[in-house]
Amino acid sequence: MGDDGAGALPLVIDDLSVVYGERRAVDHLSLTVHRGEIYGLLGSNGAGKSSTIKSIVGLVPPSTGRVRVFGLDVATEALRVKQRIGYVPEASMLYEALTPREFLEFVASVRGIPRLDASVRTNAFGAAFRLESELDEPIASLSMGTRQKVLILGAFLHQPPLLVLDEPLHSLDPRSVRIMKDLLARYVTDGDRGVLFSTHTMEIAQQLCHRVGILDHGVLRAEGSLSDLRERAARGDASLEEVFLSLTREDEGLDEAVRALEGA
Amino acid sequence: MGWREARRISDVAFTEVCLQAIYAFRQGAAPLSGGLTGAARSARRRVVQSKILVAVVLGLVAAGGAGILADAPHIAQRAFFGVLVTVPVLQAGVLTGLLSLDVAFLWWTGLQVLPTFLASGVLATIEPLPIDDRTLGRVAGLLYLRLFDLPAIVVLVATPLFVGLVLGPTAGIVTIPGVVCAVVFALALALVTGRAFVRRVQGSRGGGGRTVVRWTYLVLWVLPAFAMFGFSVAAPGFLALLGRTLAAGPSVGRDVLLAVFPFTFAALAPLSTGGTASLTLDASGVAILFVAAAAYLLVAEWSVAWLMRSVRRVGLAPPVAPREMEVSVRDVVPHGPARAVLTKDLRIASRTPGYAFLVLFPVLDALAIGLFTFVTGPGSNGALALALAAVTTAALLATFFGPAFFAIEVNAYAYGRTLPLADRSLVLGKVALVAAVYGVAAGLVLGITVLRVFQPAVFLAFIAAEFPAVVAASLLELALLFRRARKKGTPLVSLYAGAWYAIAVAIPGLILAGIPLIAFHLLAATPVFSALLIMGLIALGELALAAPLALGLPGRRSA
Repeated sequence: MGDDGAGALPLVIDDLSVVYGERRAVDHLSLTVHRGEIYGLLGSNGAGKSSTIKSIVGLVPPSTGRVRVFGLDVATEALRVKQRIGYVPEASMLYEALTPREFLEFVASVRGIPRLDASVRTNAFGAAFRLESELDEPIASLSMGTRQKVLILGAFLHQPPLLVLDEPLHSLDPRSVRIMKDLLARYVTDGDRGVLFSTHTMEIAQQLCHRVGILDHGVLRAEGSLSDLRERAARGDASLEEVFLSLTREDEGLDEAVRALEGA
Repeated sequence: MGWREARRISDVAFTEVCLQAIYAFRQGAAPLSGGLTGAARSARRRVVQSKILVAVVLGLVAAGGAGILADAPHIAQRAFFGVLVTVPVLQAGVLTGLLSLDVAFLWWTGLQVLPTFLASGVLATIEPLPIDDRTLGRVAGLLYLRLFDLPAIVVLVATPLFVGLVLGPTAGIVTIPGVVCAVVFALALALVTGRAFVRRVQGSRGGGGRTVVRWTYLVLWVLPAFAMFGFSVAAPGFLALLGRTLAAGPSVGRDVLLAVFPFTFAALAPLSTGGTASLTLDASGVAILFVAAAAYLLVAEWSVAWLMRSVRRVGLAPPVAPREMEVSVRDVVPHGPARAVLTKDLRIASRTPGYAFLVLFPVLDALAIGLFTFVTGPGSNGALALALAAVTTAALLATFFGPAFFAIEVNAYAYGRTLPLADRSLVLGKVALVAAVYGVAAGLVLGITVLRVFQPAVFLAFIAAEFPAVVAASLLELALLFRRARKKGTPLVSLYAGAWYAIAVAIPGLILAGIPLIAFHLLAATPVFSALLIMGLIALGELALAAPLALGLPGRRSA
């Protein structure tokens, strides 16, 4: 990706709003992913994480604002942006009638990946994720976890400078989660690439992310490293989960809700 | 819980089947902005429309059969391959054809809908609910029956009714057992073979050898669609065989004929009106007929019970049978984007019977007409005309089905849009598929008829002259589909659900493909190569107009 703007940031979201009919899913969101950074997007169900991600990869047009990937505007330079992104969607919606190998051939063809690179990466990921025996099975017959591995493989196939991952670890087995965590941590060590990923799992965000943004009803409530957020929430040694619940005020009425469930 | 509860649950579940059949949510299609209630209503309406269409065809088949029965005294005056057949034999032959067509059409309908039914996963959704086993079985059975209800009812009512009107009430009544057996056997065949196809085709692993096996299965799967054509071609020979076998009196051949479905039941109507003498049957022949009929009725009864038991089991089974782990070390082989689209579409079609039908139908249609030409040769102008007709049909069918290939993009629609695939590559990939279908069909006709048609150069020039028009038509259709997708800002799935639009854009496509063909026929009086030259120039002109429209789409570089 040699024509990346010199010094351009992997991802800049500026005043992004996404509106579906009457509902505002993302409300004037601005955030930045720096080179060499893993940025975690946290939020409850319906907070606007997936809508934000869909705007980045060009699936949902912004109602206001701009999204730029390495200086390229998603709205006007969609193809060049897509060449720079590896994307794992929230739901494993794949070509059910293809096998993983056929699917990866299609992805490699569209992305212009040389045969050797595509084969080496497919075999390496296949071995790491123990996918070898399923590479030639129809995707329709694969488990959710295996489909997720195929999507991850598709996202890494062209070694993109920006990874955009929507709940990438859900339905993965513990071994694959561990591999993914190590892989992501090493992926950005060259100082050029960036990763944005959304998750509900606070432990993973805490372990992996250099910075996190907390989305609540489409609004970015807080952003920064874990220590920044602890400071902001005035919770000195709290876990990210406690900080998250405090900043989004989701901890209010929590004990009552649990007690009500016990009595139900 | 009884039948009433089973019917209520199956009603709700059937809406889910319709929804998946039309909107393909489980295949990754994006949710609709209009809400699910309207979509569910629309899906049910569209499924009913499809059923009405099949039912009308079956009604017309029954009416056509009755028309031939009414005209039997005239038809029987001519010889079939030198054999004169009596009116009762002709009636038995026509009824055999009618019952065979009923089985073929219902079977084929079942093969079309079964993959969707299984893919809907509706039985797996119902299974964990607190419903007793017997009711679950009934729900599954009722769901399956609902896939066929209107067409089956038309067969059950229209066939005896029309036969009764032409040959008298008794003949109509004795036709009923045969029609019941035809419907039951078709439904059972559809379940058995449909499940096998789902396993062998949809569940097939990747690899070249398996691709051949898949396409072979798919050819077999499409064949019942040619029942009408096959029967009309084979009818004179079949009638001659009937006439000869029955006139010869008792023999092994005659006994086998009497015992084979559906002739067993087809013979009952002329027997009821003309007695045993009408078919020159002795006591043993009559006994064979009645024993065979009773046996088929028992098999039908057993089939109904089997169907009610099996639909649930089949619906819940995983699409792929468990097998030994098999590790392949094949490379990932990327191609150019347009070729990647073509390869992907062919691979999807090779595991999706609905799309495979679109690829195979023009090819098999051309093949059938080509074979007919070969048989009816040798080398006459008539044979050339037939061969040209086969290519014409292939061109028009490939053009007509072109927009449907666009619907393949419904698969993994959301993911596909995140890939850096230019519109131009997508369009070229689809056009290449349409052109390949035309090319293979035309090539097959050429290969088959080259020995019979003495003007292969004319034939080859005709195929080449029409080729640019097929490409132009396909480009125009895709350009119109893209424009609509951009204008509406909706997923392509909307086009799939709104099949009327796909048909609407096929009309200008058919016009483009048809103009050079019409020109060739209008120029019949001129020397043939002059006519072909003009035809080719017209087709090239169309291509020159359509190509910029499609490949110069505004925003063509967007993905």
